[in-house]
Amino acid sequence: MERLQSSVVRTPPNSTVVQRRSKSYRQSYRSCLGAPSRLGLTPGLTARRLNSSRRALKSHVITEKVNPEHLALLVKTEWRLSYVTPLHQFRHTQLKRYSRQLSAFIAAEKQQGVAMEVEGSQSGFRVSFSVVQGLAATDDDAETVLIQIYSTPVFARQDEPQKSVWSGWLTCINGNPEYLQSLPKGFTCLPLFGGSGAEVLTSLVKSWFQRTFDCCFGPLEINHTSLQWLAALWTNCHTESNLQHLKMIWTLPVVPPLQVTYTVNPQDAWELWMSVRKDRLERTEEEAEAGSIDIEEVVRFVQGLKSHFYRHFRLDLSAGNLNQVSTTLGSAKSSGKIKISNSRYMITTLTLLTECALLKMPI
Amino acid sequence: MAASINLSDSERSSPNDQSVSSRSSNRSLRVAEKERRKNEAEDPFVLALKYFSDVEAGTPLYGNDDFERNLVLVEKVAYSRGLPPEAISIMLEFAMSLRMGSAPCVRVLKCLIPASVVPQEAVVRAVVWLGVGKIPINTQILFIKWVLTVFDMIDAKDQLRAIYGFIFSYVTEENLCPFICHLLYLLTRKESVRVFRVRKLLELQSKLGRQPFLLHLLSLYKVFCPELVTLSIPSRMRSGFRNHISPWKSALIAVQKRNGPQVASSMSLAFTTMDKTSSRKRKHCHLQIPALRPVVNKEAPADQSSSRKVVPLVQIHSFAQLLENMHRIELPAQMGSLLGSSLALQYLDCVQDESALLRLNFWLGYTLHEEFLFCGDGGATQNSEEALQFLNKLLSAHHFLQEGFSSSEAFLYKFLNFWDGSLLRPQILGLLSNIPVVPSSQIGRLLFEPLMQLFFTSSLFFKCGLMECLNNMLLKWLTWHSVYALEDDLDISLNSHTSINMTLSGFKDSVMELVRFVGRLASVGLQIEGCHSLFLSFVLDFYETVCDTFLKYGLPLVVMPPSGVFYPALLATDPISVDRLAYIMHRYKVNLTSAKAQEKQTKQAFHISRQTFHEFNHYVVVMVSCLWNSKMFQPGLGIQLGEELLLKSNVPQYWASFDLIHHPAFMSYAVDFHQKCWPGKKDMDLSSIKHSKPWSWYLEYLFTQGYDGLKQFVQSNISRQLTAGDGQGDTQQR
Repeated sequence: MERLQSSVVRTPPNSTVVQRRSKSYRQSYRSCLGAPSRLGLTPGLTARRLNSSRRALKSHVITEKVNPEHLALLVKTEWRLSYVTPLHQFRHTQLKRYSRQLSAFIAAEKQQGVAMEVEGSQSGFRVSFSVVQGLAATDDDAETVLIQIYSTPVFARQDEPQKSVWSGWLTCINGNPEYLQSLPKGFTCLPLFGGSGAEVLTSLVKSWFQRTFDCCFGPLEINHTSLQWLAALWTNCHTESNLQHLKMIWTLPVVPPLQVTYTVNPQDAWELWMSVRKDRLERTEEEAEAGSIDIEEVVRFVQGLKSHFYRHFRLDLSAGNLNQVSTTLGSAKSSGKIKISNSRYMITTLTLLTECALLKMPI
Repeated sequence: MAASINLSDSERSSPNDQSVSSRSSNRSLRVAEKERRKNEAEDPFVLALKYFSDVEAGTPLYGNDDFERNLVLVEKVAYSRGLPPEAISIMLEFAMSLRMGSAPCVRVLKCLIPASVVPQEAVVRAVVWLGVGKIPINTQILFIKWVLTVFDMIDAKDQLRAIYGFIFSYVTEENLCPFICHLLYLLTRKESVRVFRVRKLLELQSKLGRQPFLLHLLSLYKVFCPELVTLSIPSRMRSGFRNHISPWKSALIAVQKRNGPQVASSMSLAFTTMDKTSSRKRKHCHLQIPALRPVVNKEAPADQSSSRKVVPLVQIHSFAQLLENMHRIELPAQMGSLLGSSLALQYLDCVQDESALLRLNFWLGYTLHEEFLFCGDGGATQNSEEALQFLNKLLSAHHFLQEGFSSSEAFLYKFLNFWDGSLLRPQILGLLSNIPVVPSSQIGRLLFEPLMQLFFTSSLFFKCGLMECLNNMLLKWLTWHSVYALEDDLDISLNSHTSINMTLSGFKDSVMELVRFVGRLASVGLQIEGCHSLFLSFVLDFYETVCDTFLKYGLPLVVMPPSGVFYPALLATDPISVDRLAYIMHRYKVNLTSAKAQEKQTKQAFHISRQTFHEFNHYVVVMVSCLWNSKMFQPGLGIQLGEELLLKSNVPQYWASFDLIHHPAFMSYAVDFHQKCWPGKKDMDLSSIKHSKPWSWYLEYLFTQGYDGLKQFVQSNISRQLTAGDGQGDTQQR
């Protein structure tokens, strides 16, 4: 952001004249071909791809940095993911206000035809917005925002505390710095959204965000490649924290559809993984240091699992689709649901998902 | 409703001077009227009014013949011509002050049919009487209904707005509330919306339940201050306020008819629906254009005075208002909503704010991607009706703004690789024709590769459509060049603000690439489709654009058609194609000559290559010797066939078989001409037309059939020597 601002300052003063005249085509040119300078990733021109190499899941000890309450909430639930286009005029300092507005909005939508005072206290739903400090990995990442919706049960006793009925978050972990920096001032990029709770509330929250910050929500599937990545990344952690099992669900396009649940002993998976890892000697000092993992290794790992399966059941899984991967560290489904069970590996997993979400951005 | 808001906004711009001037002008009008009245001394109507203005409080009503007589008189005037402003004031004052009790009130109110305007002071006084007198509740309601009915005829509203709070206090009167809410709705401005009023209305809501009149007023409050109140109106409640014109309707219509159009119509008080989003539920709802809504969290409230004056776009209902408020319009909460109304598009054309355009592009890109690219279950094919409407709307926005949105461009580059060439073809091709100039280094990968695949695997109609689309694209590029490049002294680089610096040569390269690409497509397409004349016609459309690039668009670039296009057109079986080819060649000549002249004159070095001149000359020679000199298949020309082969074909005089007489496209004209020229002749000898005189007659005959292209071609390329036995062709170019 800073960089952008200073460049604005440096623009020569006579530019305004030009700007007026050629505005119209400036607009077009900024278009997608002007992307290199505008919005880092030139979607039309270069096919954005997932990083072909990433660091291994390093156990980030974030328990010290992040509020344990927040952390407990983040790890215990299964989240349905969406991607979000950048938010316009979102302020981390205005969260109290947003809480009131959203709760009034929900109340008004729930009771069609009844007006609500925004500043007043609603009896039905209480919304709280909070910042999850300490999750952001770089300076470019906007701080994660946690949203919780509480409601008083209909037949509650007077003193009974309100129950949390919905929760969700918006985050950006290790987002592509070029993309983030290319956004003009006034935009906040929190591309990854996870929600858990009643579908109705999810869609209400989404439509409030859409109306308030002029952003769009689209479903985020976790594709085949990302699932393979997760399988490999999780396996890579086996020595640090026991996987207990590596479970994969494949579907094969036959009639009737065939679903294969493939569970691997963690020790076997680990040994397979070690065998496909690049020879240590090949690695440069730097790579070894970073503990980077290459897409080729992931492919070889999954290929190994597939051929093992073929040897036993004469069934080639390559013809099918990987739908789900789960270990004790977490589970991920291709439909876009994720559960991260261990906070230590949360950052890396969210990094991968942030990357997936940024890939979906229309510009 | 639109009219009333219109009025109120125009006043808002300059509340003081305007209302003062209108009041004073009204006053002077009234004075003049008064004098006129005086001259008509002893007018019984004037006397009647005098009676009502002078009658003392407490005068008995029953058995009062004076009262009866005067009221009948006033009623007569009211129902026939309507009451002048002064009369309205007097009668309203008489009724509301209850000088003769409440009994005559209803009767007087019912006859208050304004002839022209209603003086604001009268209404304000009457409202004040509401608080003072003991007017029966039904009469009070009737009065408010009357105000609502004549609202648009009230000459100014500033004083009424000034007593907004006073009027507001009546909302607690249960019976009056619906009508008061309506009146408030008409009077509300941003500064009228206050927290305590919102609270009052919400309190009423909790007491009375969900009442449409409360909701409508509150929804207007929400428009002005979304940070104070929020609500969502169910679809069945969207109809708006009822109008209360019934007691006056027939009389008012009669009076207005009689008085002609000078009276502002007040018939359309009911306002249109505020939120037209269809309530239809569907799985993929991203194709909906969001509704115009004001921003909730205002940016930078530091400057209170200026932020108060902004006008939300939702409040703009006419082009006049748009012009008036252009400098202080507040963008809506969702930029996508601008695509929904034509008025908003007008504004979008002036938006300079980069981040606003970016917001629009995010939304549009998202929508297009979700609908056409990410939808695994064939979203686009499932609801093609909605997709169709959406794209049509987008296209009309493109046409209106005369440019495409960058996100739709980015989308198209991706989509072309997945497109089957038939889904929503006219719309996709329409969008495609709007993309801005693509740098020549990328044009092949982005456009040509996917288009080529589609072209060669699709039907004739797709080919024609694509040809038209590429022609439009070229036209837009050239137009853009002619508008912008000339200003920049033949350099289109738009300095640091553009991210792509397109130089003239870069632009020329792109255009050249495009023209050559179309040349390749057209050549192969004509072969595949057997020189289909429909397709040929689209190809010739394209070359009609190409041949005029220099003169029409000032681009020093001339590209000749490939022979794969030239010969099919020259040897076409329909005369139109040949004629158009002749026209195109004529325009090429005009362009080339003037380019050359200019080059000599300005000594500027834009070279039109020798190769181009050579190609042109070659084509002209071929055309002349084929159509005119009957020297087809001569060595050195484009088409050569072996001598034996030609003899073997047994075509007599094969060298003449494509001249204007024997050309398959013109043969029928030659026959027709022959019959007209020598009606008695039994045996037809077409070659006899070749003689000097009939030849020139024949040409005249052809030109009268509308072959102007041919005419221009002949005139510019062939210098005829009338003495010579047969036509003599002569071409000169370099």
